[in-house]
Amino acid sequence: MSMETNITLTVNGSVVTLEAPPAARLLDVLRERLGLTGTKEGCGEGECGACTVLLDGVPVNACLVAFGQCDGREVTTVEGLGSTAHLTPLQEAMVTEGGAQCGICTPGMLLSAEALLREEPRPTEPQIREAIAGNICRCTGYQRIVNAVNEAARRREARS
Amino acid sequence: MSVAGLALHPFSTPKTLDEALALLAERSARAEKTVLLAGGTDWFVERHVAPAEEAGVLPLVVDVSRLDALRGIAVEGETLHIGAAATYLEIRKDARVAARCPLLAATARDVGALQIQARGTLGGNLASGSPAADGVAALAALDATLLLRSIRGARRVPLAGFYTGYRRSVLAADELIEAIEIALPPEGSPFAWRKVGTRQAQAISKVAFAGLAVVASGRLARLGLGMASVAPTVALLPATRALGLSKPLGEVTDADVEQAVLADVSPIDDVRSTAAYRRHVAVRLAQRFFGELRAL
Ligand SMILES: Cc1cc2nc3c(=O)[nH]c(=O)nc-3n(C[C@H](O)[C@H](O)[C@H](O)COP(=O)(O)OP(=O)(O)OC[C@H]3O[C@@H](n4cnc5c(N)ncnc54)[C@H](O)[C@@H]3O)c2cc1C
Ligand code: FES
Ligand code: FES
Repeated sequence: MSMETNITLTVNGSVVTLEAPPAARLLDVLRERLGLTGTKEGCGEGECGACTVLLDGVPVNACLVAFGQCDGREVTTVEGLGSTAHLTPLQEAMVTEGGAQCGICTPGMLLSAEALLREEPRPTEPQIREAIAGNICRCTGYQRIVNAVNEAARRREARS
Repeated sequence: MSVAGLALHPFSTPKTLDEALALLAERSARAEKTVLLAGGTDWFVERHVAPAEEAGVLPLVVDVSRLDALRGIAVEGETLHIGAAATYLEIRKDARVAARCPLLAATARDVGALQIQARGTLGGNLASGSPAADGVAALAALDATLLLRSIRGARRVPLAGFYTGYRRSVLAADELIEAIEIALPPEGSPFAWRKVGTRQAQAISKVAFAGLAVVASGRLARLGLGMASVAPTVALLPATRALGLSKPLGEVTDADVEQAVLADVSPIDDVRSTAAYRRHVAVRLAQRFFGELRAL
């Protein structure tokens, strides 16, 4: 029972031990204590998906996870995908297909799509639409994002 | 919000169910508030809407999301046993649930979106007690039994006896929901799951309907119904159930169903819909299910 606790978790492949309040939202710990500001806050209520990260490989809303629930677990944020110099096929496809406009939804969108592609290398359009149904985009009308995920699947297959 | 936002909440991660129950017992004996945190998909939203700091109340947050005793999904004989902290994602991915209880799998696939399904649990759905709870509607149609536990022991409460009013239940302050038990219908039993809302993902339904039937020689041998957002608690539609069981299916008319459903529901106007629309949809959903059963 405490206000600040040491919690050890793996973030983007690195093991980190962090002292932070366990009741704090994972979202705030990522942004404020780890400087990982790629994870965005839209609604703060689980609706928009801007805060989507992978928890043990599964997309979750970081605004609804307590930091104290992450002990021993693996968190992947957008910073854990490709770097600017080495984009992942999915990131590349988002660029070439015009899947990002203002960009606020993009980090969350990328993580939802990345989780899908890891589980389903050749997803159907309904599977893509279901995978990103929890990520709201006000700019693109979604079709270009769906195209980008399709294209990413093709590029991943071509590379492997 | 920031790290400081929820930071003041004391937090505890019991390692075992016994430890969690002891904590609940101690605190309830001192009249201190405790919040069990499972998926957090209701609790964090409540905190966002009404920060506890402003209300001056800071309950102890107890993480139950990783207690083994609350997690498993198992079939024992003809009973499906679902841990209260099993997530919707685990439920929809479970092959036994898909084969033996497709109604529950369909509901789990329809709660929120994937991110919500990855965290949300039936225990949280039940304990929050929202009249719009989809999981509860499905459990109503399945006539589920809830296994409640405290340091005083365990008790089983049928879902029909769990709620005492709007967001009120028989769950005691020192008690938690350990598991949900479902008497499995025969494989292939007809069921219905319909969610009527503004958008398929995320939107809370205007009306949700779950139905499950066992049909034997033109009559219903078992009928379970559950409806969300048409009454102060998820509705079990007792008059409609009684109607369905009272005579051969071929003799149950649409007019009978309309009359029974209207006796069973008491919807309200709210931000999501109107009472009139909900009454209309409630009747149609039930009529359609009876139509499907008659056509078998
Ligand atoms: C964007 C969004 C979409 C949603 N869509 C839907 C939807 O389509 N349909 C729907 O029905 N709901 C929906 N919900 C609501 C929510 O996801 C569900 O009610 C979910 O089942 C809550 O479970 P949880 O584990 O996250 O609960 P938590 O938030 O962890 O807990 C909720 C309450 O239950 C109590 N509790 C939790 N576990 C137990 C237990 N084992 N014993 C006793 N008490 C317990 C907690 O103390 C707390 O008071 C949605 C929520 C969001 C944010
Ligand atoms: S900020 Fe988490 S879902 Fe919108
Ligand atoms: S690109 Fe602007 S919200 Fe999606």
